[in-house]
Amino acid sequence: MMFERSPAKIWRNRDVLYRLKYSYCRDCKRSFYPPRGRCIYCGSSNIEHRYSSGRGVVKEFTVVYQTPVGFTDMSPMVIGLIEMEEGFRLLAQIVDVKPEEISNGMKVEAVLRRMIVDGETGLIYYGIKFAPLIEKS
Amino acid sequence: MRSFIISSSAVKIDRYYDKNFKELAIESIKDLEKKISEPLEPEALIISSVAVEHLDRQSNMAGIIADYLGLRNIRVYRVESGEASGLAAVQIAHSLVSSKAVKKALVIGVDKLSDMPNAKIAELYSYLKDSDYIQIHGVSPLSEAALLAKIYMKTYDYSYEDLFIWPFTMHQNSLDTPHAQLRFKISPDSYKESPILAEPLRLLDSYPFGDGASALYIVSEDVAEEYDVNVSIEGLSSSNDVNDIASREDLLIFSAVRDSFIKTLKMADIELGKLKYIEIHDNYTPNAFIVLESIGLADRGKAPELLQDSMIGSAHVNLSGGLKARGNPWGATGIYQVHEIFSALLGEFKKSVLGEIEYAAAQNMSGCGDVSYSIVLKRVR
Repeated sequence: MMFERSPAKIWRNRDVLYRLKYSYCRDCKRSFYPPRGRCIYCGSSNIEHRYSSGRGVVKEFTVVYQTPVGFTDMSPMVIGLIEMEEGFRLLAQIVDVKPEEISNGMKVEAVLRRMIVDGETGLIYYGIKFAPLIEKS
Repeated sequence: MRSFIISSSAVKIDRYYDKNFKELAIESIKDLEKKISEPLEPEALIISSVAVEHLDRQSNMAGIIADYLGLRNIRVYRVESGEASGLAAVQIAHSLVSSKAVKKALVIGVDKLSDMPNAKIAELYSYLKDSDYIQIHGVSPLSEAALLAKIYMKTYDYSYEDLFIWPFTMHQNSLDTPHAQLRFKISPDSYKESPILAEPLRLLDSYPFGDGASALYIVSEDVAEEYDVNVSIEGLSSSNDVNDIASREDLLIFSAVRDSFIKTLKMADIELGKLKYIEIHDNYTPNAFIVLESIGLADRGKAPELLQDSMIGSAHVNLSGGLKARGNPWGATGIYQVHEIFSALLGEFKKSVLGEIEYAAAQNMSGCGDVSYSIVLKRVR
């Protein structure tokens, strides 16, 4: 079954999807993702856009078995609530680790992975998932 | 500025492989038509559907249903506001009538989840999330609700078994609800052994996929005066929150639910204690408890303890069986809720439990409280 996602849609969102561009509010000093023109907490438009280090911590996670079309071959799929070093939180897949080895507080980092395949002959879309952090010595 | 409901109806939520969207919508108004003393001649038709484009490859649904109903020279609207589309459509009708733009408005909610395989329905449900940045990760309201369940259980020290009180109560309530999709009891064993959707949530923590259609006839005061018994819309309001739960500062209160309910009570000029019957949007077990706590029926973390025989505080909750057992045909759900509280005010639904009541309310939201609507009805005569 075709997923029929637009290539242009992925391309125009590349900074947010691949570089984790987020918003920082200069007034209330809070960060949020995805970026917006106004602060989601205080409503200020005194916003600057920044790029995340890609490192964060798992706050909670779930193993999903009823996956939507486009994700069925990834089932069971782990979705994590991840708090990034910069203070914002996001929801994303956790990979390269068995679900039973994941724990809250585990350090993770962004990795580029295959997200969606548009059928057997369609485009392959890549995106950010999170894997256990490999500390560099 | 008030509007009045003089008639409503609902088809049993089920799998209607033999009926298309139009036929199911038209089926839903047959009983409504019988209950009014004049020809059905609305000046506006408002259709609520979440996914008709995807399920039926159809846009302009309101114009087409008006055509099939033989209605001409009227205003037609299709309303989509996620799972909260039903009450959003009622708000459009209420606004049109109370502003005197029209005297009579027909609202129909319809969706057919049985027309596609479950994985497709799961995909369409994920469309409630931001398609650019959230949905693309495979995130849906299901995975969000599963995360909320784990956070709720850890924060308030509940086990998974403690949550069983909600689906158990809903299945008890649906046994004598004529339009309910699931009319059977469940046991703790069947709960714990049902398939996992997103751990810890299992099949019996979620709503069944089904087809449904429900309708309301909303009219101006002078039209309503011709009827012996009628019900007024005393309050109707909405609110919204950020789309992904990750960005919320407080994960265990749905601020859109809380804010819309407060505004609605204020419009109706009543206290929460006046409401003896409330239908809430319980798409997943944890969401039911968070909604009850968000609207103030229970303190934070106390809803599972306080719920007894469908009552929490002084209010009966989800006597229909809720989304869990009555069903959740997306765009029709809010209309079913209003049909239920309207019928209860007339003494035609759950009278043995409720007796005569003056006020009742419904709360209809999308996903995990991204958008929420509330309505308060009052029996006038």
